[in-house]
Amino acid sequence: MGKYIYRTVLQIVPVLFIISLIVFILVHVTGDPVNLMLPDTATPEEREILTAALGLDQPLYIQYGLYMKNLLSGDFGTSFRYNESALPIVLERLPASFELAGAAMLIAVVLAVPLGILSAVKRNSLLDLILSSISVLGKAMPNFWVGIMLILLFSVSLGMLPVSGRGTLQHLVLPAITLGTGVSVEMMRLIRSSMLEILGQDYIRTARSKGLWETVVINKHALRNALIPVVTITALQLTNLVSGALVTETVFAWPGMGQLLVQAVYTHDMAIVQAAVFVIALMVIFVNLASDIVYGLLDPRIKYR
Amino acid sequence: MSVSAETSSPAALAVAPQASPRKQERLKRGLRKLVRSKTGLIGAVLLLLIVGVALFAPWIAPHSPGKTNVSVKLLPPMWMSEGTAMYPLGTDNLGRDLLSRLVYGSRVSLIVGLCSVALSGLIGLVLGLLSGFYGGWIDHLIMRVVDAFLAIPTILFMLLIMSILGPGLGTLIFVIGITGWVSYARMVRSEVLSIRERDYVRSSRAVGARNLRILFVHILPNVFSSFIVISTLNVAGVIISEASLSFMGLGIQPPDVSWGGMLSEGRQYLATSWWVATFPGIAITITVLAIIFLGDWLRDTLDPKLK
Amino acid sequence: MKFFIKANAVVLILTLILAGCGGKEAGSGAAPGGSNSTNGEPAGEKTLTIAQGNDIMGFDIHNHSNTPTEAVHINLFEYLVKKDKDMNRVPGLALSWEKLDDLTWRFQLRDDVKFHNGDPFTSADVKYTLDRVRADKTLVDNSAYKLIESVNIIDDHTVDIVTSVPDPILLNRLSRLGSGVLPSKYIEENGFDYFLKNPIGTGPYKFSNWIRDDRIELVKNSDYYGDEPKWDKLVFRAIPEDSTRVAEVLTGNVDIAMNIPPEDMERIESNDTTHTIQFASQRVMNLIVRHTEGRVTADPKVREAIDLAIDKQALVDGIVEGAGVVTRTGVGPGNFGAQPDLYEAALYDPEKAKQLLAEAGYPDGLTLTLSSPTGRYMKDKDIAQAIAANLEEVGIKVNLEILEWSKFSEKNKSNSFDELYLFGNGNSMFDAYLPLSNNSAQNVVGSIDYNNPRVEELLSLAEKNLNEPEREQQLQEVQNILAEDRPRIYLFQTKSNYGVNDRIEYQPRLDEMFIADEILLK
Repeated sequence: MGKYIYRTVLQIVPVLFIISLIVFILVHVTGDPVNLMLPDTATPEEREILTAALGLDQPLYIQYGLYMKNLLSGDFGTSFRYNESALPIVLERLPASFELAGAAMLIAVVLAVPLGILSAVKRNSLLDLILSSISVLGKAMPNFWVGIMLILLFSVSLGMLPVSGRGTLQHLVLPAITLGTGVSVEMMRLIRSSMLEILGQDYIRTARSKGLWETVVINKHALRNALIPVVTITALQLTNLVSGALVTETVFAWPGMGQLLVQAVYTHDMAIVQAAVFVIALMVIFVNLASDIVYGLLDPRIKYR
Repeated sequence: MSVSAETSSPAALAVAPQASPRKQERLKRGLRKLVRSKTGLIGAVLLLLIVGVALFAPWIAPHSPGKTNVSVKLLPPMWMSEGTAMYPLGTDNLGRDLLSRLVYGSRVSLIVGLCSVALSGLIGLVLGLLSGFYGGWIDHLIMRVVDAFLAIPTILFMLLIMSILGPGLGTLIFVIGITGWVSYARMVRSEVLSIRERDYVRSSRAVGARNLRILFVHILPNVFSSFIVISTLNVAGVIISEASLSFMGLGIQPPDVSWGGMLSEGRQYLATSWWVATFPGIAITITVLAIIFLGDWLRDTLDPKLK
Repeated sequence: MKFFIKANAVVLILTLILAGCGGKEAGSGAAPGGSNSTNGEPAGEKTLTIAQGNDIMGFDIHNHSNTPTEAVHINLFEYLVKKDKDMNRVPGLALSWEKLDDLTWRFQLRDDVKFHNGDPFTSADVKYTLDRVRADKTLVDNSAYKLIESVNIIDDHTVDIVTSVPDPILLNRLSRLGSGVLPSKYIEENGFDYFLKNPIGTGPYKFSNWIRDDRIELVKNSDYYGDEPKWDKLVFRAIPEDSTRVAEVLTGNVDIAMNIPPEDMERIESNDTTHTIQFASQRVMNLIVRHTEGRVTADPKVREAIDLAIDKQALVDGIVEGAGVVTRTGVGPGNFGAQPDLYEAALYDPEKAKQLLAEAGYPDGLTLTLSSPTGRYMKDKDIAQAIAANLEEVGIKVNLEILEWSKFSEKNKSNSFDELYLFGNGNSMFDAYLPLSNNSAQNVVGSIDYNNPRVEELLSLAEKNLNEPEREQQLQEVQNILAEDRPRIYLFQTKSNYGVNDRIEYQPRLDEMFIADEILLK
């Protein structure tokens, strides 16, 4: 186990390197941010000065060398928009993003796990069809649509909840539901499949053939095994969560990393983009690693090479 | 990360080695199952309908999809008191016929879905084959690239590249193509690995068959079913992602009509003219529903583990 | 089945808790009036909440060209010269000013002003501020101040500002965003980065808190030298999504919301506790037309045909629903040098447009490209599509190119647009020279390549002319020529849409500033 972790962590190094290369390519072929920052009346001379000040006049390989050197010291450059170091600006957004993501994940798990299992157990029943349809409906409704509908219903018509912004627990409700339901439909489908797989396995069949009550079979045998992949499935939803957060945070004016990233892309604020992408990628990698380890602990059958 | 190939993570779930290529028999069994599986049948019929609409769009649509006429803007559907049969589903804020736009929008959805899946499938196939056949450092490198791509949410790629290259149909296909190959590559690789070890491949190696022959005779037919299953899910995902991109102003732009774009523009009128956003929403839902039902049925049929 | 029961119970309980929390909020959330309802403030505290579409750019007043940012700053930083509600220049931090010669102006400063940290405001602060922006070419607002040659301290409360050429609009420069006076001593002691995080000025409100992409909070400056500030607290919220901003004003959580989409005006107006205001802005929507040799639009007849083919009044009525005034000039009323004959005027004659196209040698029509940003100006994409439809009616086939702003802006500055592109020009200088000089040959070489020697001559005269009546005539003549030459086809001057809570008495300003003490509680 220890050896396995050691080797996996070693594998992370080249992955991070490749990510840094992807991010560099993405960010450095972007349009010229100088053009965005200067007013229309700026002269070519003013443009040159700003280009030099931002280091954009160097050849690409020098820019890359500089970029890697800075990256290793945790310096992602200076945000054009805020004129401050990028990484602290990104990290400053983490609490808001974690708050929203955590609440959304809670809602997603609470919805998806029981419904996914139910759907698998009652496979091909009317209930399964209804649940599948609802999950497709949920998948087909983009986050912004759900968010705006929730605002119209719960805030404008019923006056029950605040519209947008971050603050009290009530402010969290609508964005968390928007983001959480979006993630839960995907989760529900995955849990249904993994449960189906387990129900098809020999020991369940054996249990059934022994004449055990269906409930007992499901509770005692299937459920325990079905819950193990839930860990992996939940971890895999992290990228979905981030994707949903881009839109949800914008709709609800939530001051998290999603909105920061969207605004940074709009303004071609390259430093922020690369810092944020890197932070997100790191989180995804470590959550997946953690879920692998947890998985191994839960399921003794897994052998690590 | 590396264990996920051995454990039953969802990516691995879709990968279903299929040994017996008795096609005729399998097709018949599949069709019989399709008729019995109500959802699969519904999905297939709906999808055929949508493809039909896309193919015959110019004959179905009563108006040109881009024809603006501000004097008839925001007319409700024909069954409402102010509606007219001229515009069966009503008009949008520029007085364009919603029905015609929906009909033409189906083309864009299908084109983007099919082209981008074809592109990412091709990239995934090549890289997966390289990885599986050659192993060694090539395999390591490609798998690390896969891990890197998996760590960056696709929508971020889309957002960035669309803002760099300018939003448009071609760009969207390109972005999805170069980001979506990951799942195909993984699937092809694991398929190659399992097939390589099987006896018949070993024996064909022994009689001097070329790699290319192994590819066409043994590998392609086997990855085909998994390919279809992953693709259906991807097509549905593409249609929905496009809507989110449109929300951020980076979706497909006029004069091309996309359902996502219509839905996104319609959000401004949710409280005042519900039909503008509702119909494209329904179109997306039906299409995604059809694709997913069909995909589920394909998976159930093609994957022997889930009988 | 136990598992499901448990799980469902959890969902149920969660729902109840959430609904419970919501219930408590309902009373205060839905009912505006009295004290503001945003998260639990002490009773009796007067808070003004304003929602804009964008967050502020930060506190470097010299390094942005962003009106919503200035609209916040103006409560914090003050100018030597201020503009009253009617855009007349009135004393600000300077009590009086006089022109010593064509190049030198003398300003008499107030001696009773303190920065928020207690430091007295003196000539040194004025010198520091203007020296920074005029000398540092990397600052975005440098171009508006670079003709200031020097700032000379005469005594603690007297400064001379010397320009390199006679500058008829120096006072305009000193009453806009880049000229907010910064605390020189504070910045020298603590560094500029510290200032950016803890900004102080001389204004009626002090900086309290900024959560990026969420809100900025200012609190009353009790030591303000002028009338006592009317509000205890100002909250400026950044809400990018239009429908969310509309919902916030409808529910009474914000007092004033900017940039209301036209289709939502009616909802806010008919709502019991809110109303709408539509007020002219400085922005004029126009189509920029390439005169470059080889383009179809190099032919003046084609340009005139395009102008005649576009139904501007229909754009105003149909697309922006009345939020505009048709115009044939980029200079609206309220600016020095405006040409009133060209305002509230528009050409529209599709038949004559067809005829002109035939005369120009295109009886069967022609093809051109029209580019437009999306999400930048009110209904920009829709305006472009409506114009395309207008042009198709007279036989001009349009390739529409719709781009998100950063891409659009980049193409604009790299001069890579084709025949036509849609633009909205603002004017923070309140003088005709700035918007007109956008058409001068040196500014459009490589982009639209418009060049009329008479325009060049008039503009260079007007740039330095201190004789106001003569200068006004020169500027007006330029506008008459531009209306015929059409480097730009002007469409309409936009109006800004505001959603306002009924408890507020608010009259928008032409410069779109939110000066809190002009906004009253009923």
